Parts: sequence; structure tokens; C-alpha cells
Amino acid sequence: MDSPLHHFELHPIIHLSLGGLDISINKAIIAMWIGLALVFGLFMVASGKGRLLIPGKLQSVLEIAMEFIQGMVDEFIGKEEGKKYFSFVASLFFFILTCNLIGLIPGSYTITSQIAVTGAFAVGIFLMTLVIGFSRHGGHFLSILVPPGIPKVMIPIMIPIEIISMLARPLSLAVRLFANMTAGHTVLAVLFGLAMTAPVWIGWMPFGFTVIINGLEVAIAFIQAYIFTTLTCVYIGDVIRLH
Amino acid sequence: MPQFEQFEVFSSLIFWSLLSFGIFFFLLKKFVFPPILDTLEEREKKIREDIESADKLKQEAVAIKESLENELKSAHEKAKTIVQMATSESKKIQEKSLEETQSKVKQMQNDMEREIEVARNKLMSEVRGFTAALTISSTEKFLKKTMDDTDRKKLAEESIEEVLKEMQQG
Repeated sequence: MDSPLHHFELHPIIHLSLGGLDISINKAIIAMWIGLALVFGLFMVASGKGRLLIPGKLQSVLEIAMEFIQGMVDEFIGKEEGKKYFSFVASLFFFILTCNLIGLIPGSYTITSQIAVTGAFAVGIFLMTLVIGFSRHGGHFLSILVPPGIPKVMIPIMIPIEIISMLARPLSLAVRLFANMTAGHTVLAVLFGLAMTAPVWIGWMPFGFTVIINGLEVAIAFIQAYIFTTLTCVYIGDVIRLH
Repeated sequence: MPQFEQFEVFSSLIFWSLLSFGIFFFLLKKFVFPPILDTLEEREKKIREDIESADKLKQEAVAIKESLENELKSAHEKAKTIVQMATSESKKIQEKSLEETQSKVKQMQNDMEREIEVARNKLMSEVRGFTAALTISSTEKFLKKTMDDTDRKKLAEESIEEVLKEMQQG
């Protein structure tokens, strides 16, 4: 029997390279593309087919999702400021949700179970918050490292602590999503491995669990997408408000 | 764990995921979000406007109801006055016509009485003439003898008086 982690391995399907950089296309990338294409198609159907003032079912679902994200953006970034970041946050939410969900189809792949991908997004968001902070507040942005109202003697200790906590943000953001996706898929792989190898009279049990855990994984896909985007909003809100 | 061991796939994963996200973001921002956000805004605006106009209409309805009630009240009062006036007028007319009829009846009665009086007088004088002649002739026949003029006249007068007395009594 294969290791339950075996299915996380990726092998290039189409070999490509860009200036010496290997950009070969593998299963994870294809799965991501299929998912994104489906979601985009669904969006186009829902929003393109004559948007109605009295919405149909698909439009209602989409509108509820949008209002949900809008509420999140309004709460953590601010009603006026939030408008600028809404598209980014909503795209991020749907991107992560799509990647999380597409991986639940057997034989597919969750690209968000790759620490390299979640790390790239987390670092990207971290750098974006730094850019937003410096462009809005200039040098004054560094005051984010000094919590308001602390005694001056504490400042030399607080600054390194704040720097560490700032750096921990992208790390925790990346690891949380990656770990959740990896763990879920590993559990599913283990249970399904059991179901396949065990005799039928006992094998139905791990198989039943696979079904239950699969349902749970759908919920986790939503929750992790929500957490990732909420934290993104919080980080953006923090650098806009400076504390 | 492959995710920490397969460094060779990192570059392609990072490249394609960031690029795909970029394109996904661009497409959503350009084609999907604006119409949906517009619809949401439009709906919110419409609902707000509808509620406002409904409030306005309600206020108008209340005002119209009040004015109508006032009009109805005044119309009722007017009608009441008209009915009262008509009643008193008709009463007056009734009284007047009754009076007129009564006076007419009285007048007719008076006229009748006068006519009766005249007729009676006429009748009486005629009766008197006939009676005189009758009395004379019957007396002459009864006595079968002539009398002088004085006796005749006296006797005639007496007979007449008697007849008249009887007639008046009758």
C-alpha cells in the first residue's frame, strides 16, 4: 500500500521553462485551472444573463456570497476604504475556496495543500500590506511597531517583539491553510486506504467515515477560505488604521 | 512529506498559482463584480425609494382621509340644515294652505248662507202672495157670502199671519 502522503507528490505533465525557471504544468495546476474556469463560468452565467432586480437562485447565491464578503471588508477595513480592496478580497476568497473544493473530487489535487503556494500568497499579502502601509503613512508607518501607550523603557523590547509578531503573520497564514488541507486529505487517504484493504465486512466502516470526513472537508474548505480572507482583511485594516 | 521535499515543483506552482490568481482577479473585477455590485446597489436604492414613496403615499392618504372626513361631516351638517329648512318650509306651506282653505270654506259658507237667505226671502214673499189669494178664495167659498172690503182684508191678514207662524215653526 502507498503512503497516505503519496498522493501529494507532483509530476510534470507538460514540461515548460521560462528563462531557466521550471514552469512545468502538473496535476495541481490543471485542477486549479478547471476549478477556476468552472467558478468563472458560473459567475458569468449568474451575472451576465441579465442581472435582475429580483434575482434568480444562482444570482441570489452569488449575491449572498458577495454581501457576506462585503460585510467582512466593511468590518475589518472600513466602509469607504474597503471599496478599494473588495475585489481583491473577494477574488482571494473565491480562489482559495475553489482550490480547496476542487481537491475534494477524487483524483483531483488541492493546490492549497502545497506550502509553496500558500506561502507565496501569504508573503504576497504581507508585502502588499507593507506597501499599503508605507504609501499611506510614509515613515510614520513604522509606528505600528510601537503599541500606543507603552512606557518608553519598554520600546527597545517591544520593537523586536512586534517585528516577530508581524513576521509570524504570513507564516501562520501560510501554515494554517496548508496544514488544514494536507491533514484533511491525509485523513481521507488513510481512511480510504483502510476501506480498500480491509475485508468487506469491516471495510464499510472506514468507507462510511470517508464519506463523513468528506462532508466535513467541504465545511473546512469554506472555513479556511473564510479565515484566510478575514485575516487578510484584518492585516490590511491594521496597516490602514495603524493599531 | 512531498510538500517539503519536491523543491523542483515549487517554482512552477508559485508561478502558475500567482499568475492564475492574477488573471482570475482581473476577470472577476472586470466582468463579474461590477454588474453584481451595481445590482445590489440598485436594489438597495430601489427598496429605499420604494419605502420612502410608500411612506409619502401613506401620509398623503391620511391627509386625504382627513379632508374627506371633514367634507363628509360638513355635508352631513349641510344636509341636516337643508332637511330642517325644508321641514319648516313645508310646515309653513301646510299651515298657509290650511288657512286659505279654511277661509275659502268660510267664504263659501257665508255666500251660501246669503244665497239661501235671498232665496228664502223670495220664496216667502211668493208664498205670502199665493197664500193671500188662496185664503181669500177659500174664505169666500166657505162663507158663501160677500163681505165688505175691510173685513176681507182683516181676515186675509189674520190667515197670512197664521200660515207664516206655522211655516216658521215648521
